Amino acid sequence: MLLRRSDLPLSKDPAVRILPWVVGLMVYLATLTLAVALLISTLAADWSAGLTGTVTIHITAISDETDTEMTRRVEEAIRIAMKTPGVDSARAVPVAQVAALLAPWLGDKAPIDDLPLPRIIDVQLSSSEKPDIAGLKTRLTEAIPSAGLDDHQLWRDRLVNFLSAIQLVAGVMVALIGVTTATVVVFATRSGLAVHNEVIEVLHLIGARDEYVAHQFQSNALKLGLRGGAIGSVGGILTLLAIRYSAANLEIEVFPTLIFQLWQWPVLLGVPLLAALIVRFSARFTVMQALRRMP
Amino acid sequence: MSVPRTHYFIAFLRHLQTRVLVTNAANSVVRFENVGMRYEAGPEVLRDVTFTLPPASFHFLTGPSGAGKSSLLRLMYLANRPSRGVVSLFGKDVSQIERRALPELRRNIGVVFQDFRLLDHQSVFDNVALPLRVAGGKEDQIRKHVSELLQWVGLENALDNLPSTLSGGEQQRVAIARAVIGRPRLLLADEPTGNVDDAIAVRLLYLFEELNRMGTSVVIATHNEALVSRFKHRQLHLEHGGVEFRSDGADS
Repeated sequence: MLLRRSDLPLSKDPAVRILPWVVGLMVYLATLTLAVALLISTLAADWSAGLTGTVTIHITAISDETDTEMTRRVEEAIRIAMKTPGVDSARAVPVAQVAALLAPWLGDKAPIDDLPLPRIIDVQLSSSEKPDIAGLKTRLTEAIPSAGLDDHQLWRDRLVNFLSAIQLVAGVMVALIGVTTATVVVFATRSGLAVHNEVIEVLHLIGARDEYVAHQFQSNALKLGLRGGAIGSVGGILTLLAIRYSAANLEIEVFPTLIFQLWQWPVLLGVPLLAALIVRFSARFTVMQALRRMP
Repeated sequence: MSVPRTHYFIAFLRHLQTRVLVTNAANSVVRFENVGMRYEAGPEVLRDVTFTLPPASFHFLTGPSGAGKSSLLRLMYLANRPSRGVVSLFGKDVSQIERRALPELRRNIGVVFQDFRLLDHQSVFDNVALPLRVAGGKEDQIRKHVSELLQWVGLENALDNLPSTLSGGEQQRVAIARAVIGRPRLLLADEPTGNVDDAIAVRLLYLFEELNRMGTSVVIATHNEALVSRFKHRQLHLEHGGVEFRSDGADS
């Protein structure tokens, strides 16, 4: 695919000299955009997996109700849940844990112990048997009117829709970067065709096929594309590592999955190769189109 | 400027002759029928040009400046298409030939351009090797043939030189070597003696005659009347966009 000897002095073209840097910049942007899309994909899978396989029963506290009465209702709810097909376990979340979950929103000085906190029951569903969520909900609300059941479906759907939209935007951005790269190559190649018009005509007149001339351009473009792609890819990956390092220093899990999975690395490292191929085929297409106009 | 070693060159051409298959199956090498040519929307530079050049013929293309000699040559080496009429090469109507088959046809045509059109960034060797390389020749064979040819045109010490370091006459020999290295069936030369003194011009004409004797049809566009009258070949005379044959004591 690469030529050792070229009949055209393409390496001296001004437009060709800046091409690796343009490709490098495009690959850098594409790598970062694609990285965001991949991280979101992982994040969505993690969040979805965390919500799938579990439902939550919440029992609203009734004023003037004693702890014993509340405990009885909780035990009743657990009993109903455990009798439902497809339920593996049901566990009441300790009141202290519920209070701890609320503490960040209510502040340190809030009298949490005096508040009528709802009781939460964490229900784990079986992965092998289809759970009867609708039946559980009916039986629960019939037996305990103050009980409710949240299967997280609404939240999960909204989350998935939101993340899918972000991924779509990222995909469109990567596609636009590809189109921009191809456009730049087309203009750079046209410039090269104009500069070397006389040499190309000589080659044409002594019997060179269009493919022979195109090969000179595409080989040079591939070389420049690979060089630019390597620069952009290294830059992009270094930037991602820097972001990961900075995020780790925050000591909060803003991006708990800022680590790429094994299958995601070839995707990221494939960006410069794809860019080089776009550069090569854009150059070839431009040259072939131009040569077809020659007699 | 060193004198080209003409006798070596002629020997080389004879050496080639043993391997050249000159196909004369067609009864014409070049045939123009009512050909007209204009550049884009400009006036016709050639009008109703009709002539036939038989195989192994030798013609001078003469006429005043602006008569259309270069345009006629451009039609013959397929740099342009006619605006009307039929151009046939080696018995084939060019307009009927598929575009992808044209490179093969062009390899049968050697062209010495008026301004040589050598590739300035390539060595003398690479310039001469170009037609063989575009034809997909093997590098060891290319090296052998080009080295031999450059030796026989007296440029064996300039293989690696860039054309810009050579004199006008030397550049011309490189251009001629490039035109003949592919063993063409038709050799077209546009003012090939324009940059050399009379003695070298005569030697060049001997070289072209030698090629012609091997079966290559030769057309030389020239203003050099002394040369035309010295070498008694037929003239294809262009004037006012039209063409006529003149003999002026030509042998053929």
